[in-house]
Amino acid sequence: MTPAVEFRSVSRHFGVVKAVDQVDLSIAEGAFFAMLGPSGSGKTTCLRLISGFEMPSAGAVRIFGQDMGSVPPNRRHVNTVFQDYALFPHMSVRDNVAYGLMVRGVARRARLARAEEMLALVKLDGFGDRKPAQLSGGQRQRVALARALVGEPRVLLLDEPLGALDLKLREAMQDELKSLQQRLGITFVFVTHDQSEALSMADRIAVFSEGRVAQVGTPSDIYQRPATRFVADFVGSSNVLPPDLTVALGGPRAWASLRPEAIRLVADGRLTGTVTGARYLGAGTRLMVQAGAPPASIGPRADGGPTDAPRYLGQDENGIAVLVPAGVAVPEVGAEVTLDWEPSALHLMAGEA
Amino acid sequence: MSAATHPARGPGDRLTGLFWRRPKLLTALLLLPPLLWLGVVYIGSLVALLVQSFYSIDRFSGLVVPEFTLRTYGELLIPSNFDIILRTVTMAAAVTLAAVVLAFPVAYFAARHAKGRWKAVFYLGVMLPLWSSYLVKVYAWKLILAKEGIVTWAAEGIGAGNVLSAVLATPVIGGNSLSTSYIGTFLVFLYVWLPYMILPMQAALERVPASMLEASADLGAGGWRTLRSVILPLALPGVIAGSIFTFSLTLGDYIIPQIIGSSRFFIGQTVFSLQGTAGNIPLAAAFAVVPIVIMLVYLTLARKSGAFDAL
Repeated sequence: MTPAVEFRSVSRHFGVVKAVDQVDLSIAEGAFFAMLGPSGSGKTTCLRLISGFEMPSAGAVRIFGQDMGSVPPNRRHVNTVFQDYALFPHMSVRDNVAYGLMVRGVARRARLARAEEMLALVKLDGFGDRKPAQLSGGQRQRVALARALVGEPRVLLLDEPLGALDLKLREAMQDELKSLQQRLGITFVFVTHDQSEALSMADRIAVFSEGRVAQVGTPSDIYQRPATRFVADFVGSSNVLPPDLTVALGGPRAWASLRPEAIRLVADGRLTGTVTGARYLGAGTRLMVQAGAPPASIGPRADGGPTDAPRYLGQDENGIAVLVPAGVAVPEVGAEVTLDWEPSALHLMAGEA
Repeated sequence: MSAATHPARGPGDRLTGLFWRRPKLLTALLLLPPLLWLGVVYIGSLVALLVQSFYSIDRFSGLVVPEFTLRTYGELLIPSNFDIILRTVTMAAAVTLAAVVLAFPVAYFAARHAKGRWKAVFYLGVMLPLWSSYLVKVYAWKLILAKEGIVTWAAEGIGAGNVLSAVLATPVIGGNSLSTSYIGTFLVFLYVWLPYMILPMQAALERVPASMLEASADLGAGGWRTLRSVILPLALPGVIAGSIFTFSLTLGDYIIPQIIGSSRFFIGQTVFSLQGTAGNIPLAAAFAVVPIVIMLVYLTLARKSGAFDAL
């Protein structure tokens, strides 16, 4: 089957900055696809390459098999929900939603009726006469969604769609977007820097780092089997173990990832260490444990507060993050603890030589 | 043990404290001088003007009769007077329209594309003409547009002398030379007021986020559609602000049409001569009220049409 969106070794350079560098991607039709990465990783540029607001410096972007090299944004059958929503402030909500149809010459009565339907779809019936300025952030987001969907695009692009909403609303919108996508069957491609958002909504994720795709896979692939140190650390702040330590812990000589939540505090286990810091997270507590005797310089702080323990074990000797679930007694900073985990929790990263 | 407060360092700190306790006092103090100026000097003289326009002049003695009458306003409708109003309003409208057309590309470039050094070049280029004397510029234009001036010379040089003659042969707006025709008056008005159109337009265009234009293109709109449906409506407050300048400045000016043009009167010149040699203050006042009324009508229409909705 022809992929909905395909990148063939696409690069986008701004002078010496390689915003997107040799990216190959294939997004299947009907997918809910997330582009995840820190700011400046090239994910937004990739989205703009699909919408046509950026031109590739090299390579080709294809939409349903058709090369987009000479197709301007207004002729692509793709619509975007912008990060700042970009609603037209001088038009009513209804006219905003109907804009795409007006541009295509749909008769006034028909397009306004269709706009009403779209507003009902995003649960904003009755808001058509208002101006965007009279709506809350969440409502504006829905208008932007309705406006982008009214033309029945084959691919919907969402640029940090939930970034401006507060936590409660964000969670509600995550569910809504997911069910909307399943109902409409349109390919959704969304950009986010929030790993939990990507994990919960997408059925495939591309993790971006420095203009390149570090890994593509299902949410559980990405989380449980990170291919590189970057992915392991960025998605879920895993413990990244250098080859020496992996060997010391009974594995082969390779980089490995060990999830903090896979580690348990036990009486007798694989590793003993000293607690050097604790961060309370509500649903649990994240401990930093120094394996062996901690050097004096990174011992517990005099005031008992959390220490800024570096995360790569290769850099800071043997600091390891442990997630203690709520309900389990949390040891004091400075206490000796013993750690254990299932052998299968130690994941070897194929992408690291 | 240290105190929870720092000691006051002098009257300045005490004053700051006073204003902190009574924020309205500071607002009142700051507003008092401009309000006095606006209220007494500005509004006061406007009211005086309005009152004068309801007086009339005694035809025999030439003295102002301080009694309420609408007769003076009636005189505005006499064909010779009404022509002056019509001529001035037409000129102001033409200058404003031309200024919008000329200013838009400049303002758009400055707002959307100019960065750093180019932005400085833009501001300098637009403001520079405002730094030199208005009279010097107008007299310079008289020479430029004169029959023996550079425009005629250049037109003949490129073999377009007959084109210029043909333009000047146009009835009403033509004349003996550019500097003695309405075309000349129009050109100089346009030159002198153009910065007042560019700057507010540029400010309005600058406030239109780039994502708005991308959203329009994303929804399928081509360049013209985006210009018509998104850019112009959003830039409209700036256009209106600029047109208030160009329109009212043209309505009130009495120097340009006196130096360059067909020597037929505009409102400004009429007011000047009526209050001077003729001593007909009431009619001068009535003439002066005309631009005010026109501007009020214009602003009301602009407001009704939703030009300020995007503000």
